[in-house]
Amino acid sequence: MFNIEEFDIKLDTEIIGRNFIYFEEVNSTNSYLLETEVNTDPGTVVLSEYQLQGRGRKQRDWTAAKEQALTFSILINNLVNIKNVQLLTLGTSVAVVQAFENLYQLDVNVKWPNDVLVEDKKIAGILVESITKGNKLEKVVVGIGINVNQPNFSGKFNIRPTSVRMELKKQVSRERLLSEVLNLFEEMLQNLKNNKQKVLNDWKSRSRLIGEKIRIVEGDAEKYGIFEDIDNNGFLMLKTREGVETILTGDVSIR
Amino acid sequence: MDVNKIKQLIRIVEKSEIADFSIQEGDLKIKISKNSKNQVIAHLPMQSQNYIQSPAHTPEPVKPEAEAAVSVKLYEIKSPIVGTFYRAPAPDADPYIQVGDQVNEGSVLCIVEAMKLMNEIESDVSGKVVKILVENATPVEFNQPLFLIERN
Repeated sequence: MFNIEEFDIKLDTEIIGRNFIYFEEVNSTNSYLLETEVNTDPGTVVLSEYQLQGRGRKQRDWTAAKEQALTFSILINNLVNIKNVQLLTLGTSVAVVQAFENLYQLDVNVKWPNDVLVEDKKIAGILVESITKGNKLEKVVVGIGINVNQPNFSGKFNIRPTSVRMELKKQVSRERLLSEVLNLFEEMLQNLKNNKQKVLNDWKSRSRLIGEKIRIVEGDAEKYGIFEDIDNNGFLMLKTREGVETILTGDVSIR
Repeated sequence: MDVNKIKQLIRIVEKSEIADFSIQEGDLKIKISKNSKNQVIAHLPMQSQNYIQSPAHTPEPVKPEAEAAVSVKLYEIKSPIVGTFYRAPAPDADPYIQVGDQVNEGSVLCIVEAMKLMNEIESDVSGKVVKILVENATPVEFNQPLFLIERN
């Protein structure tokens, strides 16, 4: 059960989440917002207790036990400039991290580009999907999955998962966490517009891997080097013997 | 009827008071007209059809529109973001489009992905895909041309 009032009373936004849609079950909250022709107000948030086709990157399954996780999507569209759309993944990570810090004083860190970790265990993930036509953004949807009240996980995972409950040894309010994430998300969107460097710095200060020797896997390719920094577009700068290479995407792990 | 006979006929008609003259011999039909603007035309039978070309049938000058249709204008679909170019939604899925496919405005052409932002690129024109300029799973720059479309 999801208590809308408890969520609403702590929601401190102007746009984000003001149009809120709750599903017991839906194919995918991202797909719902990308495809809907009804709920097209920017800032619309769709939360579903269960996603039949919930997915992370590369169609890896993202399954979540009922009413224990938060899986939701935010419709952004014109609230972001196409020049900054690629920074949404890092920016959203920052909003999620700050929510954990504010509410639970949890020591969380970000993993480039779309994971939020407690030590080396995954607690949240982000998948941004957009549609462009010509050089115009038609739709932008930010999908967020957070492990909240799962008591444990079974099965095989790419990165070992954890939940807020497992870290704090107690259950927490999903409603309160959602409102906090959305409050911080709206703030981050403002920063993206007016102070992009702050978003980049907020992300960098939560990264544990900058300066470390890392391995990046993308498809069949493997690269080794030092995680030098992220550039102004959020791309990973990998220092190798040949020089500094800009990495657009990939799975990062410590070497 | 040989050419000399036709020439003779023309001369006779020219000197006479006859304004319009026509004669048929087998498949050959000849019409000679002295009316202003009309021309003297002899037309040889094409297949089994007897046919005299009247002035209305003289070929018209090529119109500008027709010229445009002949010289092919290709439209470039460019990448609005930096990232990796994918022709299919998943590694084992079929490509969104192939060369020769007809696409409409709004048809999905490809995905460009960077930092876990999956961006679907839709066509902003209708037409036929003439060329795919980028290899699957390779990086593309901002504004790099991806497809050539022959507009409808």
